[in-house]
Amino acid sequence: MDGFVLTIWLVRIAFLVLLYLVLFAVVRVLLRDLRAAARDHVALGRLVVVASPAGEPPAGMSFDLDAVTTLGRDVNNTIVIDDPFASAEHASLTYRGRSWFVEDLGSTNGTYVNGAPIDGVSPIGFGDEIQVGEVRLRLDRGRP
Amino acid sequence: MTAAASAARGLPAILAAIRPRPRGRELMLLGAVAAALLVGSLSLGTTLAARPVLDTGSVPETVEPALADGRALATYLVALLAVHLAFVVTGRRTDEVLLPVVGLLGGLGLLLMQRLPQGLVTQSFAGLELGLGQVQLVWLLLALGVVGTLGIVVRSDRWLRLYKYTWAAAGIALLLLTFVFGREVNGQRLTLEFGPVAGQPSELLKVILVVFLAGYLSENRSLLTEESTRLGPIRLPPLPYLAPMAAMWAIALGIVVVQRDLGAALLFFAVFLALLYVATGRLSYVLIGVALFLAGSAILYQLFGHVRDRVDIWLDPFVDPLGAGYQVIQALYAFGRGGLLGTGLGAGLPTVGGRMPIPAIHTDFPLAALGEELGLVGLLAILGLYLVVVERGLRIAAAAADDFRAILAAGLSLVVGVQAFIIAAGNLKLIPLTGITLPFISYGGSSLLANAVVVGLLLALSDRGVEPPPPPRPAGRLRRLVGAGR
Repeated sequence: MDGFVLTIWLVRIAFLVLLYLVLFAVVRVLLRDLRAAARDHVALGRLVVVASPAGEPPAGMSFDLDAVTTLGRDVNNTIVIDDPFASAEHASLTYRGRSWFVEDLGSTNGTYVNGAPIDGVSPIGFGDEIQVGEVRLRLDRGRP
Repeated sequence: MTAAASAARGLPAILAAIRPRPRGRELMLLGAVAAALLVGSLSLGTTLAARPVLDTGSVPETVEPALADGRALATYLVALLAVHLAFVVTGRRTDEVLLPVVGLLGGLGLLLMQRLPQGLVTQSFAGLELGLGQVQLVWLLLALGVVGTLGIVVRSDRWLRLYKYTWAAAGIALLLLTFVFGREVNGQRLTLEFGPVAGQPSELLKVILVVFLAGYLSENRSLLTEESTRLGPIRLPPLPYLAPMAAMWAIALGIVVVQRDLGAALLFFAVFLALLYVATGRLSYVLIGVALFLAGSAILYQLFGHVRDRVDIWLDPFVDPLGAGYQVIQALYAFGRGGLLGTGLGAGLPTVGGRMPIPAIHTDFPLAALGEELGLVGLLAILGLYLVVVERGLRIAAAAADDFRAILAAGLSLVVGVQAFIIAAGNLKLIPLTGITLPFISYGGSSLLANAVVVGLLLALSDRGVEPPPPPRPAGRLRRLVGAGR
């Protein structure tokens, strides 16, 4: 076979092979990234205390959430909110299907979402603020 | 070392807070990209050097290895490395895959522009006469500058989040300006000129559209998933919140009618529907949207000649093979000539009977040129690179701290992916051809810069060390009415 044709052909094929090498290197990085993300346990969500005048729980604290979380002054709640305006069993947060819902459990002073009082079960999204008594909590995505 | 330490102490506080952070993966991938582009340039340069002999029908005796404009490629690779080093020095924890992937796509574009006849585009700048390849290099360098700047500087999304209606107003103003003052090129009113600067606003518009949609959808997400209006068996969200959907539809139709730009209209509407699905997870919206789209298309097909022309060419380009169907047919032949492995860079058919087989090859048909010279195998690699961009965007969206950033990241990557799909499918006669650019590869300043903005924003969004999103504001008018007691 002719030297010129063969050389050009080899360079051409080398270029295509290198294109695929880049693609494979990229895909390997992506796969490793995805596997690492799958290994990490990610909580369904977390509650971050935005403001807490009484200091219990302290502002800035963050709770990883399970599918059912209760909030109130009673010590048997998942998250104990020691606030004078909170009821013993104040509100509950539940994860149903693919989204979060908050329900007021008949508290004296009511539960607020983004400043508006709720009645019954109402859906909330990540970034929304729940107010129980004078404690304000923000629902965030779970961190790996 | 002591000198460095004392220099660090002498720096202002803002610079002292910056800690370099190595980005090994990015460097490794960039090295592979540089190797691939160098071999590509070698292949192109050697073929082009032997071209005069090859054209006479004989084969040259000796091989003279040559790079195709090695200085331009070197400049581009150095610029890529410079952006990488800038990321390392500023130490942000941003995505490490996007830059190499986009760099490879841009480099392929550069090789293609060097290979095409340089006379397609000429610009004289400060006494220098620049051909197609050099103009593309200048735009690529500017685009890399934009990517680097956005990836380093943007540390907050407030300027996007808080001013979404301002951005939307700016976008609509841009659109109206183009409607009124735009210059018509090839029957499409796309180009807007400000003195010496000319650009295609629809490229920038797609970024603005995504920013607005991210703001709007993240704020009204819960309202859009409610089902307060019932229309027989169909359940709809509160009617006021359907208004933007209708508005989007009207805008897309307006672009088709006034600008005659089918590609942008299709891109905007497809991205809108995709984001609506991302935000609400409800297939019914997408189905309603597709039904609206089909109805609108049917009406436009009946009413407007340019829409009918495009569809008729798509259905059967061989009715008028030397006129209306010429480009599409030549593109199909180019893909056919390429076959599995392609003819090799620089060895495709440059001209047929003294004229370019595809007049708009550098803007609308780069995929046909690449398909001819790299073959099916090369094309699949290029499409794979676009898939990687989309995957990275969706990963960034999945890891985002809140809805706004998630929808923004998903939207930005989908804009690139959908645009690549529309033009690739158009070139392959899978859907009617619509004149939009192939992201990162096509010639064109507006396209490269707008896509650079997209990549820069994606990089900024992927930073895990960035400030948390601001607390939410009361959402939507309805919710405020319900919560009137506040």
